[in-house]
Amino acid sequence: MRKLNLAVNTMAFGTMAFLYLPLMAVAFFSVNNTKYGLAWKGFTLNWYLQLFQNEVILHAAWNTLILAVVSTSISTVLGTALAIGMDRFPWPKKMNTGFDLLLHLPVIIPDIILAAALVVAFGFLRGISSFFEPGLFSMIVGHITFQVAFVALVVRSRLVSIGKDVEEAARDLYATTPYLLWNVTLPLLMPGIVAGAMLAFTLSLDDFVISFFTAGPDSVTLPLYIFAAVRRVVTPQIHALSTLVLLATILLVGVMERFTRKKNTP
Amino acid sequence: MKKIILALLIGLSFLSGIAWCGGGELKIFTWSEYMDEANFPKEFEKATGIKVSLDLYESNEEMMAKLQSGGLGQYDIILPSDFIMPSLIHLNLLTPLDHSKISNLKNLSEKFTSPDFDPGNKYSVGWQWGTVGLFYNKKKMSEADVQSWSVIFDPGKTPGAFYLIDSVREMLGITLLYLGYDFNTTNPKELKAAADLLVATKKREACLGFKGGVGGKNDVISGTASAAVVYNGDAIQTVAEDPETYGFIVPREGSAIWIDSMCIPAKAPNLEAAHKWINWVLEPEAGASLSNYNHYATPNGAAIPYLSKKDLDNPGVWPPPEVIKTLKFIKDLGKDNRIVDEAWTRVKSH
Amino acid sequence: MNRLIIWYGELLTQKKLIKRGALFLGPGMLWLMIFLVLPGLILVLVSFAARGAYGEMVWEYSFDNYKRLMGYGIFGWTPDYLVILLRSVWVAVVTTGLSVVLSYPLCFFIARKPERTRYLWLMMVIIPFWTNMVIRTYSWFLILAPELPFAKLAAYLKIISPGMALYPSAFAVYLGMVSMFLPFVALPLFSSVERLDWTLVEAAQDLYSSNLRIFMHAILPQTLPGLSVGIILSFVPAMGMFVVPDLLGGAKYMLVGNLIQQQFGTSRDWAFGAAISMGLMILTMFSLYLYRRKNKGMELL
Repeated sequence: MRKLNLAVNTMAFGTMAFLYLPLMAVAFFSVNNTKYGLAWKGFTLNWYLQLFQNEVILHAAWNTLILAVVSTSISTVLGTALAIGMDRFPWPKKMNTGFDLLLHLPVIIPDIILAAALVVAFGFLRGISSFFEPGLFSMIVGHITFQVAFVALVVRSRLVSIGKDVEEAARDLYATTPYLLWNVTLPLLMPGIVAGAMLAFTLSLDDFVISFFTAGPDSVTLPLYIFAAVRRVVTPQIHALSTLVLLATILLVGVMERFTRKKNTP
Repeated sequence: MKKIILALLIGLSFLSGIAWCGGGELKIFTWSEYMDEANFPKEFEKATGIKVSLDLYESNEEMMAKLQSGGLGQYDIILPSDFIMPSLIHLNLLTPLDHSKISNLKNLSEKFTSPDFDPGNKYSVGWQWGTVGLFYNKKKMSEADVQSWSVIFDPGKTPGAFYLIDSVREMLGITLLYLGYDFNTTNPKELKAAADLLVATKKREACLGFKGGVGGKNDVISGTASAAVVYNGDAIQTVAEDPETYGFIVPREGSAIWIDSMCIPAKAPNLEAAHKWINWVLEPEAGASLSNYNHYATPNGAAIPYLSKKDLDNPGVWPPPEVIKTLKFIKDLGKDNRIVDEAWTRVKSH
Repeated sequence: MNRLIIWYGELLTQKKLIKRGALFLGPGMLWLMIFLVLPGLILVLVSFAARGAYGEMVWEYSFDNYKRLMGYGIFGWTPDYLVILLRSVWVAVVTTGLSVVLSYPLCFFIARKPERTRYLWLMMVIIPFWTNMVIRTYSWFLILAPELPFAKLAAYLKIISPGMALYPSAFAVYLGMVSMFLPFVALPLFSSVERLDWTLVEAAQDLYSSNLRIFMHAILPQTLPGLSVGIILSFVPAMGMFVVPDLLGGAKYMLVGNLIQQQFGTSRDWAFGAAISMGLMILTMFSLYLYRRKNKGMELL
């Protein structure tokens, strides 16, 4: 048993190292004072300073943020309504399985197929309205499409676990529908909604494929910028940018942990 | 009441549309590292007050794909190569130029006025021209070896790590020339042979894959590769700075010669600014500043007196007649474009 | 329609209930219909179209694209595309498999930690999970570079020539894929491992079971829900991934994702790209169907 323990622990540590090694390398070389090559030439924060003067990168960061915030807000609303609509109403079984399938589509279809479908669809919609030129608008639409499904799935599982009882009790006490929704269902649902929203937010921030296919010249996001830059030449500036993104992610995860822990401890 | 609101809305959008168009912004879709991206547009901004924003691509096909999937109304200026012009014209992707707005058109050299692919300069004005060749690290590859393309195609040679250029016509064309076929052939057997040779080359350990000219050049400089197939301008600056270490050559079997031109896409948002840009680049000083930066040859005859002597004397930039004989223009193949594309897909997917 | 029913303790007509339901369901469903289902159908349609001489799409219907996918192209029969499709399945399977193998020890390790440190370790798994995939992929450029000890070791062992990096190569692609998808498997798996009833494991041990049998019969069935979610969340995206093969495989190791991307990019053959996407979707569905048959009663989220 001891040997097994040792094996498990070693493998676990090894796996963690495997996950973090590349990221640590990026952080390490982001403060290396040399433009090319990997020889250590001294510590410098130059590359970080250059970042903040680079308008293109700042613009990309701004785009990424706007995209994530707008698409998350809309998809959370749509997804929550969808979940409530699916679970709290007596649809015939066939319809229910149909809804189920529709919601699971973005999960079981590789996102490149989704992106290809959007490109083709937008190509046609462009003839009708110039809103569908590649750009922030079409990216937001693309993001909302897959986010809605994820939000709805998360919220629905929460709805299922809440159950009917509380709402029936509220009805017995003469609650009207709006009151019921606002003061009973929604508060109970909140952890699920927040979880869904956070999931949607991360999915948008991290998204590459859908953004890649629907982006226009003005709407470059950070992932797209880094991808294009890395294919040309890898500079320490990119390392600095990546390290900053990593730090922002760590911050985000920390905040999320705090938040959910507060919610879960009554 | 409703009619009044509708009229107001229409009026407002009309006004805002006009406000949007005036002066405003110029959006250029161009090859990466083709101009001094930090300073050249700024000189234009100083001269005209129009702000410039750049978007970059690595190959003509990439640019066309972008245009066809919605980029038509997003850029004011594009820089296509000569062989792709017929496709662009045929698909109505370009706006005809208003020559009355381009008074400097007369500055173009004889050779580049009214070229074959665009009689009368109806759609395009020459930007730069150049060749494709091999950029190599002299310390890792011998002068004798690089005289021929066999240095990368012959499995017997050991060239060290190299990149092929990620551009359909140029790379396939070079392979065809090496095999002794016509650069612009559409013969399926010949294309298949070229595709197969490229596949075999790609699979060798020494070949690091395909990259745009700029990427390949940067990798040779950083030491990841010993050689890369690049556009001549990509290489010249580095060779000039360090001729002991780096070299550029057009191997004897030949290569591509190309001209890039400035064109205006069909739904360009700011036609005024686009024409101003074209006219400004045709100024002798601007044209010379451009070529002195990217070390390509210029079609702007008026700029030649302002060019750096080093470039004028450099055979890498202005090739001597015996090299020019081996250089082939890439021809548009019309219907047969498809078979070339399929050959390229074959190369990439094996 | 107008008779009264009681629903969730409320008294109302069926018609009113349906109207209210539609209000909630409507916007979301409409959105999914317009931007998910409709584009999907259009994609199917486009997969039967053709490519014109200049890269535009031409509405000439035929099975040509599918025939080409099966290998019947202009240059005679080639198994190229089938090879790429199967290779993608293989890579996805290996990636998922390796991720599962590495996830179990990780999850056991974290599950046995006290509450306080458990959160910390979980966060450490979540951080790469939330970090952008482009960054996580290109960061391997540094680890696999010729200057670092790993490449030097490989050169010493004569696996590669000296001075070369460990990428682009199939090895680099696998490294990138596994490091990308490991958290996708580990996190759902953890939610099951956390709830593991260790008494069953103890019972198996008391009965002198070998470690392998303990795992297969006491641990695996209990962790199946989380494992299934993890497998799907890893396998499906891995099938369509193109960033990792593009950056770490160069043009040398092509997967289906790259092929599709190429059609919508430089090859300008949307119709063929759509056909490949259809092929990919069918393959994915089929694989999931096979998996579902072996593990009945699988719930997703």
